[in-house]
Amino acid sequence: MMTRVPALLVMHADLGAALLRAAASVYGPVEGVTVLSNEGLSREQLEQRIGEQVSGWTHGGLVLTDFWGGSCHICGIAAARGHGDIVVVTGLNLPTLLDYLHNRDEYPIAGLAERLQRKGRDSIRLHTGQTA
Amino acid sequence: MSWVLQRVDDRLIHGQVVVAWGHHLRPRRIWVVDDASAASSWERDLLAAAAPGVEVRVVTVAGAAQAYAEEAAAQGAAFLLMRDLKTAATLIEAGATIAKLNLGGIHYAPGRTKVNEYIYLDADDRSRSRRLLEDGVALEVQDVPAAKPLSLASLDPEIDRV
Repeated sequence: MMTRVPALLVMHADLGAALLRAAASVYGPVEGVTVLSNEGLSREQLEQRIGEQVSGWTHGGLVLTDFWGGSCHICGIAAARGHGDIVVVTGLNLPTLLDYLHNRDEYPIAGLAERLQRKGRDSIRLHTGQTA
Repeated sequence: MSWVLQRVDDRLIHGQVVVAWGHHLRPRRIWVVDDASAASSWERDLLAAAAPGVEVRVVTVAGAAQAYAEEAAAQGAAFLLMRDLKTAATLIEAGATIAKLNLGGIHYAPGRTKVNEYIYLDADDRSRSRRLLEDGVALEVQDVPAAKPLSLASLDPEIDRV
């Protein structure tokens, strides 16, 4: 068994909390995942709040954010600097979050981050044409 | 074409700028005017990576003042981003011609009072705003293009009492 990889969800408005609630309805009760919203925060304030969370991770972890270039992503990168083995993952969706929950005890941080990237890409599919 | 958005926002490059304003105005270049960011190669790289497909230039206030007129005549649209009103006022005093400042995000800090959900000002900010208005600079509060732009004075009667 690997050391569990901790995660912090940093997202716009209420998305992180809603995503975690949705994940719990599929996965069951979720422990060890923290949620942070960027709402009403300057870059400095958001960086500080992310920093407070990730500074408690002794073996690193994942900062899971919504989209590349947003304040959650940028502040995640800036706050993670100097705090060890932290990977910032953007584009998180429900399949990716569920995959994280199912695999967070099975992979090292970098391997888990790469798995989530693949899962996120594979989770967007098109179903077209007649079905019956 | 050049300057199409001159914005005060303490988050500098972020989602509203890249996604909302970027989609609306299609900038070729984003100028981030911030002495601290310009002094850090790490910060410059971070800001450049945050806006894929757009050239990001992170410069000091002095550097922006020097390049401002040339950029105004350049091909393609450009954004100007500053983290606070002090930077904007300094840039204008240094010679940049700005007819309208978009106020997109000045968040709460001790000493600041609320104007709306994303604009909080202290006494110095209000004093600077008054001077900018007297100098003919329009101050418009608008976070995203889909929102209605509102004059700062209409939202903050204290501006008139400074």
